[in-house]
Amino acid sequence: MLFPLDMMRSGEVAEVAEISGDPGWVGRLAELGLRAGCRLKVLQPGSPCLLEVADCKLCLRGGDACQILVRPVS
Amino acid sequence: MPSAHLRVALVGNPNAGKSTLFNALSGLRQHVGNYPGVTVEMKKGRFTYHGIDFTLIDLPGTYSLAPRSPDEMVAVDLLLGRRAEEAAPDLILAVIDASNVDRHLYLTTQLMELGLPMVVAVTMTDTAAAQGIALDAAKLAAALGVPVVPVLASRGVGMDALRAALCHGGLVPVPPKFPDAVTGELDALVAAYPLVPRFLVQRLLFDVGGHIETWLTQTLAATLPAELTAARQRLAAAGCAVSGVEARTRYGWIRLATAGAVTKPATRLTTRTDRIDRVLTHKVWGTLAFLVVMFLVFQSIFVWAKPFMDAIDSGRGWVGDLLGSHMAAGPLRSLLIDGVIKGVGSVLVFLPQILILFAFIAVLEDCGYMARAAFLMDKVMSRCGLNGKSFIPLLSSVACAVPAILSTRVIENRRDRLATIVVAPLMSCSARLPVYALFIGSFLRDGYAWWLPGVTLFGMYLIGFLVAPLVALLLKRTLLRGETPLFVMELPAYKVPTLKTVLFRVYDAGSAFVKRAGTIILASMALIWASLYFPHHDAAGVSYPDRIETLEADDAPEGAKAEAAQLQGEWKRNSYLGRVGRGLEPAFAPLGWDWKIGVAALASFPAREVMVGTFGILYGVGEVDAKEVDNPDDEKAAGLKATLRKEWADDPIRGKYGVSVALSVMVFFALCCQCGSTLAVIRRETRSWSWPVFTFTYMTLLAYLGGFVTFQLGRVLTDALGG
Repeated sequence: MLFPLDMMRSGEVAEVAEISGDPGWVGRLAELGLRAGCRLKVLQPGSPCLLEVADCKLCLRGGDACQILVRPVS
Repeated sequence: MPSAHLRVALVGNPNAGKSTLFNALSGLRQHVGNYPGVTVEMKKGRFTYHGIDFTLIDLPGTYSLAPRSPDEMVAVDLLLGRRAEEAAPDLILAVIDASNVDRHLYLTTQLMELGLPMVVAVTMTDTAAAQGIALDAAKLAAALGVPVVPVLASRGVGMDALRAALCHGGLVPVPPKFPDAVTGELDALVAAYPLVPRFLVQRLLFDVGGHIETWLTQTLAATLPAELTAARQRLAAAGCAVSGVEARTRYGWIRLATAGAVTKPATRLTTRTDRIDRVLTHKVWGTLAFLVVMFLVFQSIFVWAKPFMDAIDSGRGWVGDLLGSHMAAGPLRSLLIDGVIKGVGSVLVFLPQILILFAFIAVLEDCGYMARAAFLMDKVMSRCGLNGKSFIPLLSSVACAVPAILSTRVIENRRDRLATIVVAPLMSCSARLPVYALFIGSFLRDGYAWWLPGVTLFGMYLIGFLVAPLVALLLKRTLLRGETPLFVMELPAYKVPTLKTVLFRVYDAGSAFVKRAGTIILASMALIWASLYFPHHDAAGVSYPDRIETLEADDAPEGAKAEAAQLQGEWKRNSYLGRVGRGLEPAFAPLGWDWKIGVAALASFPAREVMVGTFGILYGVGEVDAKEVDNPDDEKAAGLKATLRKEWADDPIRGKYGVSVALSVMVFFALCCQCGSTLAVIRRETRSWSWPVFTFTYMTLLAYLGGFVTFQLGRVLTDALGG
């Protein structure tokens, strides 16, 4: 089951399945460690949301976060 | 001895501890490099170790070498030796954060492709240890194929080992290997465009819609986009779509390289940063903490700066008096005292505020709080088309637009940064306060409710807070239209700020302000002085300064002082600027102004703080100190207010609509760009004349419109209420 990232709730952990959108933005996220196959934890939902990705904290806007499809990890 | 000189490029992610390392290596031997045509700033430092002379070039922090803008291209060009003013570096010093090695090595793998020798410095080893992360430098060095040195730059740990590694010249690493399909397409492109370095050809292939693609399509071949699309489609068909192949290859290589060298705990430990962030990024507590921090910053800008500002001001007065008593009267003395010293002084007086603001910004940035502030403010700022990083510059602008514009450098997106720069001068800065104080004190205090002065003053500040976001929104919908930039920001781990980094930052801001803005102010003050000084002979051919000198002599009869002040007024009225003002009176009439207000407003264009002083001269009460406007014990300030009220009362327009005229003047000053320093800084930061010209034009028009609407509305209201 895939969800857009902005539907995740606080504290939930997920694996990134797919990131769509402008190639420049996809590349930029990859540079920051956010890429297909990586794990993330939602620290604070909403817009902007706060994520924990590979030991670092990133913030994204809600509209951008919905371009990231994730698979929740229980 | 060319062999005893090494040029080292310092490259790393933002927040990797690069500045601290740079300062620890080069100490005081550093300066800001000047690179024409770009807004990025690169520092150069020097140090000598074991007889080798090092030049250290500090490149702007970046997450990758995939340039998206001309500014980001500068770093790539510099590393490739493609910039005329800077030879290619001999050695790369890559900085990586021990607590987040995988992410930081992404950039390192790109640096490996430059074919230059490299040394890797691992910073934040203490933070990593606190998180239970262990890093084996020897194993990592073997895996990367370059020397790896762990350092704690703030405490000087590992610095000698790092200098020694640099002395040995580093090693040329073997970069990660891409799938054959990618290499094949690359070879074909390199063969087709032999003049472009292989590194750039690879970026060209990978960065869809990136800066290199745009640039080479314009300069090299219009058919390039079609060729690239074909190549990328072939790669996608081969299972190596460019959207993922780079990240997959690099991170795959990194996973292998760090496998034995970096060990992490199975479950991530809760760090100090996590605990602090639970409060500081919280919607309620975080916002509250943010407001308290902002209040403290601005309170200290006003309170702490005051004694220093007073000292500078009295220093200015002292130098002026000294010169005055040692020089013969004449144009030269007047130029030096009224033009140069007053001009330079009026700029220097803001230096304490700028230094304090930048000390705070440097501390907040260095400790990692700035990113949290931007995170909290992003929601509000995105509503007016800006982003969270615009908030601090806009708020700083309440103190002074000059440091505020300098602090917009943290905004990566060019359009957002320009919009912030252009609207920042709309916020009511501290130099506007004397003008508000004069008019509120003269027309809105006596005979009105006790709360009216405060509310009016608040209203003046509110104008900036309301108009700036509106103008920003308008700009983002028109001139600076473009896709909403995707906003992604890293929140770095908190750390104790280092004194050196803060001091250097404050010094840079201060010297830039004094040097660049000071020259423009100086020139324009001299110009205003000249146009208010000449012609200096009355109709009978007697010199005004001579007549005033005689009247102001100690043995002059009673009442001569008042006559001298009257004479001053007449002199200014007949000066070139006075004549222009009177000629322009029809233009000022719709705002309810007479020529005196008009001239004072015109004279305030280089620096609005001269407004009150000019007003004093024009209304014949002598020079009034802008800072004493609100001081009831200051004779001249009280005199100016009384004279203003009396003169306006005798006038048919200003007598009846005094309050409306006063408000119209205040609104005009609130919206107008009367600050040569601000325009000079905009010119410097945008590297173009069009943005300062645009800012000046739109603000002046807005100010005129604002003054006009205020006066006309006030007039209608007064008539309706009074008649």
